[in-house]
Formats: sequence, C-alpha cells, structure tokens
Amino acid sequence: MTTISSSYDPVPELAHGNNYLTHTRGVLSWLFTLDHKRIGVMYLVGILGSFFLGGVFAVLVRTELLFQGEQVLTDDQYNQMFTLHGAVMTFLVIIPGIPAALGNFVLPIMLGAKDVAFPRLNLASFYLWTLGAIFFLAVLASGGLDTGWTFYTPYSIETNTAVIGATAGAFILGFSSILTGMNFIVSIHQLRPPGMTWFKMPLFLWALYATAIIQVLATPVLAITLLLLIAERTFQVGIFDPKLGGDPVLYQHFFWFYSHPAVYIMILPAMGVISELVSVFSRKHIFGYRFIAYSSIAIALFGFLVWGHHMFTSGQSNMMNMIFSALTFSVSIPSAIKVFNWLATMYKGSISLATPMCYALIFIFLFGIGGLTGLFLTTLATDIQLHDTYFVVAHFHYVMMGGTMIAFFGALHYWWPKMTGRMYSEMWGRLAAFLVFVGFNTTFFPQFVAGSQGMPRRYADYKEMYAGYHFVSSIGSYIMAVAFVIMACYLLHSLFRGRKAPANPWGANTLEWHCSSPPPHQNFDEQPAVGDCYDYSGLEYDTATDSYVPKSRTAVTT
Amino acid sequence: MIHNSPVSCKKYSPEPVASALPPDGPVYPSRAGTMGMWIFLTSLAILFAASMVGYLVVRSRFEQWPPEGMPPLPAGLWASTIVIMLSSLSIQIAYHCVRADKQGGLIATMLITTLLGVVFLFTQGLNWAWLIAINEKVNSGLYMSTFYLLTALHALHVIGGLIYLGYVTARSFTGTYHSAFHPGVKYAVMYWHFLGVVWLVMFVMIFLI
Ligand SMILES: [Cu+2]
Repeated sequence: MTTISSSYDPVPELAHGNNYLTHTRGVLSWLFTLDHKRIGVMYLVGILGSFFLGGVFAVLVRTELLFQGEQVLTDDQYNQMFTLHGAVMTFLVIIPGIPAALGNFVLPIMLGAKDVAFPRLNLASFYLWTLGAIFFLAVLASGGLDTGWTFYTPYSIETNTAVIGATAGAFILGFSSILTGMNFIVSIHQLRPPGMTWFKMPLFLWALYATAIIQVLATPVLAITLLLLIAERTFQVGIFDPKLGGDPVLYQHFFWFYSHPAVYIMILPAMGVISELVSVFSRKHIFGYRFIAYSSIAIALFGFLVWGHHMFTSGQSNMMNMIFSALTFSVSIPSAIKVFNWLATMYKGSISLATPMCYALIFIFLFGIGGLTGLFLTTLATDIQLHDTYFVVAHFHYVMMGGTMIAFFGALHYWWPKMTGRMYSEMWGRLAAFLVFVGFNTTFFPQFVAGSQGMPRRYADYKEMYAGYHFVSSIGSYIMAVAFVIMACYLLHSLFRGRKAPANPWGANTLEWHCSSPPPHQNFDEQPAVGDCYDYSGLEYDTATDSYVPKSRTAVTT
Repeated sequence: MIHNSPVSCKKYSPEPVASALPPDGPVYPSRAGTMGMWIFLTSLAILFAASMVGYLVVRSRFEQWPPEGMPPLPAGLWASTIVIMLSSLSIQIAYHCVRADKQGGLIATMLITTLLGVVFLFTQGLNWAWLIAINEKVNSGLYMSTFYLLTALHALHVIGGLIYLGYVTARSFTGTYHSAFHPGVKYAVMYWHFLGVVWLVMFVMIFLI
C-alpha cells in the first residue's frame, strides 16, 4: 500500500498550524466564505439549533400527553406544537442534516478536491436555508401553524394560521436543497481525482449522489404543489377545492410525489454514513460494495413509484392501491440488501465500540424495526386498521429518527475530530448513545402497541385504555432529552478542553483522514493518491498519538 | 539555481482577458458549468411537467373543454408564440457571434433578444387584459385559473431570464465575452431556448388541443 501511505503528510499537525478555522478571522470571513468546510460548519450550527427547537416542541407535545386531560397546552396549541415539530424537524433538520452539513464538509475532501464544483452556489444555498428558517421562525412568531407538516387540503385552505408563510419557507428550503443536490452531482462527476473511478468512490458519496438525484428531480414537484396551495389561498383558483370542480386528493398526489422520495433524501445519506462506519469500526473491507452502491440508486429510482402508499384510505381505486402496495414492498429489497451487507461486513471483523459505531449499531437495529413495521403499512388489509394511528407515528419515527437522526449523530461523532480538531470524551459519548437508545425505544415502542389498538395520531387527549402507553412514551422522551443535553455538554466541552485530534483517530482510509485535523484551508497541498478506501492493511495503531498511521512510516522511524 | 516552489495556481488560456476569469476553473464555459446548467434545467423541466400534468388531470375531469359557456382563449397567444420563437432565433445567432468573436453582432443580437423577451411579456399581458376585459378572471373557474396559473408560471421564469439576459447584454458591451470565454452567453442561450420549448409545449396543450 505504498501509494496510499505516500499521500500522507509526514507530520500533518506541524505542517498545518494554519487550518481552515484559523485561515482567516472575523465574523465576515465566515459569513462570506466560499470554503465548503466553513459552509458545512455553519449549516451544522443552524441545523443543531433547529433540532433543539424541534426537540422543545416534541417535549411539549409529550408533556401534554403525559396524562389524560389538559396539561400544558390547549387543544389549539397542541395542534400547533405537533405541526411545528414535524415541519421544523423535516424541512430544517432531517432533509438537510447529513448532506448539507456533513456532506458539504467531507464530500470535496473525500474527492481529494479543494472545494465543491460551485462554491458560490454552495454559499447561496446556505443562505436560502437560512431564509427558509427565518420564515419558519416568523410563522412561529405570527400565530403558528396547525395543518400538520403535510399541509393537507382542504383544511390548509381554510385555517387562518400562517400557511402561506410556512409554505413559502418550505419552498425556499426546497430551492436550497435543489442547489445543493446540483452542486454535489456536478462535483462527483467532474472533481473525482485521477484513479478514483465510480466504483472506487466511498459509499457515502454514492449515497449523496443518489440523494442529489432525488433532490433535483423530486423537489420541483413540491415547489409547484406549494405554489398551487398559495394560489389557492390567495386567489381561490379551485384546483384543490371540490366546490369549484377541483380535487383535494390531487394535492395528496402532488405532495407525496415529492414527499415519499423525500423520505429517501432523508435515509439514503444516513445509509451512506453507516456503510462508512461499519467498515471502519469493524476494521474490515466493506462487504458487497457494488450491491450497496447499486442499491442506493435502486432506492432512489423506486422511490418515485410508490407515493400512493400514503393514500390507501384516500379513495384511490383498488387497482392503484394494489400496484402501489406491490411497488412499495419491492423497495424493501434494496434496503434489506444494505442491511445484510453491513452485517456481513461486521461478521468476523474486529469490532470497536467507539461512539460512532454505537450509533451505527443503533441505526441497524432501529432501522430494522422501522423497515419491518413498514411492511404492515404496505399491506392493504392491515393499513386500513393502522392508517393515521400511532403505529404510523412510531414507524416513521423509527425510520426518520431511529434511522436518519441516529446516523446523523453517528456521523457527527465520527467527523467531529476532523471538523473541530478536538476529541470528545468517549465515556460520555457512549453513555449518551446508550441513553438515546433506551429513551428512543421507551418513547416509540409503546406507540406501536397503542396504535395497533387504535390510538389515532394528532389528538391532544386520549381514552383511559391508552394512558399507560402515553405515560411510558413521555418518560422515554425525557430520557432522550437528558441524553441530548449530555451530548451538547461533552461536545461543547471538547471544543475547549478536548484532546487535540490526530489526523486519523479511527483508522479510516477515505481521503478526509489523509489530511490533518482540522484540514488546512485548501484541503490538500497536492492531489492525493487514490487507493482502495476500505483497505485498512496499510494502517497500524500508533500508541504515542492514539491514532492510526501508515505502516511504512513507523517502519522508517523505529 | 532557483528553488522549485510548489505551483498551486492553475494555468489559464492565453491572455489578454485572463484577469476577467473567475478563479474557479481553467476553461470557460467549463464542463462543470454546462453540466450544472443542464441539471438546473432538468429540475425546472420537472416543475413545468408537474404543472402540466396537474393541468391535464384537472382538464380530464371535465366532459367538455372549454367548459360550456366559456370563451376560447385569446388568439393573441399566436403572437406570443411567434415572438418567443424569434427571440430563440436571435439568441442562437448571438451564440454564433460570440464563438466567432463578432462583438458587434453579439451586442446587437443580445439587445434584440432582450427586447423580444419584453415584447413577449407585453403580448402575454395583452392576452390577460383581453380576458379580464370580458370579465374572465383567475377565480372564474378552473378553465380560467389553470390558464392564468400556467402562463404566470412561465412568465415569472421569463422575467428571471430577462434579468439574466440584461446582465449578459450589459457585460457584452464591455467586451467580456469572446470565443474562449463566454459562459454567461452560453447559459443564457440554454435557459432561453428552454423557456421557448416550455412555451411551445404549453401553447400546444392549452390552446391547440
Ligand atoms: Cu412513503
């Protein structure tokens, strides 16, 4: 593996006293930066802030549901809280979470490039995200929103809450998402270094590529849907209004034609993260590289054909229902392919339970439950019973939070040393991961049971028979809240007191671990050599730095 | 002997305008730029396709189109169509001019294209005015609202295009573009042709069939 080791800077920490964080100083140097790393960090700050906000809404919702009757929120306030929770978490956190924040940071470095293909567009995309977030805050300040995050007609036409502000915000966020996707597609096509063929790319890049395709192809449909909704509210154009000859179900078709693929915008990057983590922390070459890569693309394409599974009870024809049901079942195949490949990668690997790997394992477990419970909802007969119950709520939280958010935190812990140049406390990291896992299951597992017994979603109150489930569920949400507070504490602590991060603390072999932590402004001084990014045989553990170094280097120095 | 310092800057095409080159890459229009533009147009194409699918779904629910008692759409749509086709032609000529380094031709055709774009908006406005004059407004039923929405959606993109055309035209006055460097012109050409094609499809769907 001489090609790989030769690309190592002999003493990265010394050669780059000047890194991307210290390269220039001052607030303006951040606000007008074209550096993908800084843009990624700014996204990260914004997204974590939004996650906090959405989390507060969630805790309020769960507190209202702690006992029967009214606790802290009126019914109207409750409607607003779950709507804002859903809208903030979906549009501001989960969709941009991994691609825009972490993807932005690592994609160009993984390509051995200086930046993305269009740095200015990248900054514009960040400011569009910011603008969208401001719209959401304005909605919050101006009386909220109570339609649910889906803005379903006809209610979204009738309610006098701030639907136009929120849809305009979502529209702008969609635009931001399209620009990021476009940037990533072109970057991956044009900036791959010599020697990095498509099938030598890290799987995370395959996942981002598949995600970008969906972002570019599906988001415009959301745009037109939201524009029509705004037109409907402003001019009474009648497209979704049966009184005027329109069709409210048409809204649902439009909405889900985007929003089902959007589910894959959320989960594909997460799967990409897991592919990296599982291989690195098993110290074993990823198993079934091509299957994982192709299955990302397959999921992206299949994702466009299944939107009708959200509308089994909306009066679609039986034929349509059967077609959508069958197509939806078929999406589980590429998803399962990935899971089996991860398991096969771990098999006989030398697994290290570092914090990122804990999240990867949690992901596989929770995503497995989320995926398997999806099958009950795809089955027409059972969906009639389960539709709009807590079973659905639990299912998509297992996928969205148990999947995407868990992978996001795994990725955050994985790249944290690279981004900040500091190591966090492993002990606290694992403890928080454990508490998230316990809290998550305590919150959402009882919801499967409550839902299967008929507890409908989006209700501010419930019957006696559901009291136990709701109580346990709310306690679980508090456990998670504690876990996230702990996480915030040790991560912030690491920024100031953390041990300086070595270039390669995990022994990974993708290119971002070939430059120092934090990376220099220009990422690499010269084009790094490209090898097999899942081959760890050229690395060995170095006790002096508690990190991994190329074998040839220690062989020379000792 | 001179110390061999690492060369980090990339080599650009022969001067004299190298200073006008943005720092992102060596060749303009670059492959990346063109590809990005194609992806952007694909995304927009989906936006228009979705709007037209919506239109067809709405229309398919009616037994008769135009619905009984509704007037035909204004014949002025023909004028709009001819104008936007002419503008496509003129911007294509502009593209040939810039690649042949004919500065005068580039400036003239860019000006003509921009002007024709404004005329297109004007004729579309006349079509709206004609309908409003006979009291057919955006809330006069789906037949009218779909017409207004589709033409407005297209017109908004034309307005965006005109802003960009104005920018490119202004820069062509200062001699920014030539055969080796003309990204702005190329992107404008791609976008403008795209709007022409979208309008043709829309015209056929709402007026001819
Ligand atoms: Cu779906």
